[in-house]
Amino acid sequence: MKTDDDDFLTGAVPDPDAEPTAAELAHAKAFADLVDKTLVSGRMPPAMSTDDRALLEVATVIRATHGGLPLAPSKQHSVVEEALRLAIGGGNAATSLAGAPVIPIKRRWLPWAVASTTSLVAAAAIVLLVIRKPPVQVQPNVPTASIPLEWKSRPTDALIGRISSECSGPAIECAKQATVSTSARIDTIFSDRLAGYRDRRFGGKR
Amino acid sequence: MKKPSLLLAVAALAIGMSCSSSVEQPTQTGTPTPSVTKTPDADDVIDEQLMIALGQAKNFHYKAKVYMTDGKVTEAIAAVRQILSLRFPANAPEADDVRNDARALLGRLLLSQNQLDEAMRVVEEGLAAVTRESFFVANLYTVKGEIHYARASAAGSGDAKSIEDKRAAIEALDKSIKINEALQKQLERP
Repeated sequence: MKTDDDDFLTGAVPDPDAEPTAAELAHAKAFADLVDKTLVSGRMPPAMSTDDRALLEVATVIRATHGGLPLAPSKQHSVVEEALRLAIGGGNAATSLAGAPVIPIKRRWLPWAVASTTSLVAAAAIVLLVIRKPPVQVQPNVPTASIPLEWKSRPTDALIGRISSECSGPAIECAKQATVSTSARIDTIFSDRLAGYRDRRFGGKR
Repeated sequence: MKKPSLLLAVAALAIGMSCSSSVEQPTQTGTPTPSVTKTPDADDVIDEQLMIALGQAKNFHYKAKVYMTDGKVTEAIAAVRQILSLRFPANAPEADDVRNDARALLGRLLLSQNQLDEAMRVVEEGLAAVTRESFFVANLYTVKGEIHYARASAAGSGDAKSIEDKRAAIEALDKSIKINEALQKQLERP
């Protein structure tokens, strides 16, 4: 069966400056609609002429090369995976493991090598700990650093001596005297211990 | 990554155990060997905490002395009581001495206010906590005797309670004399 397309394609080539005929315009419009529908839907019509199909495929390719065609999500994912695999030194690009992180072989054996080495050292330490006998050693009696008496915290009896509480006056006077004598005692204790403390902290080595 | 981490942890533990075991080797008798470079124990020496506590006690006694110059016995009692709350280093002999001295003074101050029961309570508390005999403990017994004598005097002569208090006063004073004599002998020994 002969169509208009056949005439259009097999007829004489018109002059470049010649005005388009009504048939040519109608055909161009119909084909433009067909291209639009195909690009929007992503599918070609089930029935069409071979020439139109060839032209439509060319139009699709031209559109794709200009970057206007988005890739399907699955295709995008696989392209990204392949690019990443190549970037980190992966092997065969054809083997796609979507979603799984790819670790280079060099990085995979490093922690195991470190762990194995330290484990060996640890095992050696454990063995040493188990089989080692405590060394038989005769310790000489090493005296600890002797502490001067005046550095030590100690009873104050030798410093204060016997406490006299003789008082023959009224109780309030005795209490007053006791306050004075007790205050004098704590002064004596404080002064003595302060001297010892200063000597220990700031004095010469013994 | 879990397995290498676990191995590392075990390794660190084993190395740590090995190192720590070599820090202090027990002798054959099982007692740790004393270090040649051992420094004096913190408990033995006069330290900052002891000096601070002694300084505080000194200040409270001074306050009490100043109050007493104006006859403010209640304020003096409050100042001396604060000495009993001071924090001394654990087991410092000075702490016992200072506290017992403060208790003896507190007893005398309360005695001057005729608060005999409270005075006795303060003294008895001090005597109950005694861990070693000292001139300060002897002084506490002296104050105890004075309180008993004050009770006996208040009860009146011939009264059974008065007789009992006089006997207790003699007992306490004898104890004080005994302690003083024993300590004096100790100090006079070469």
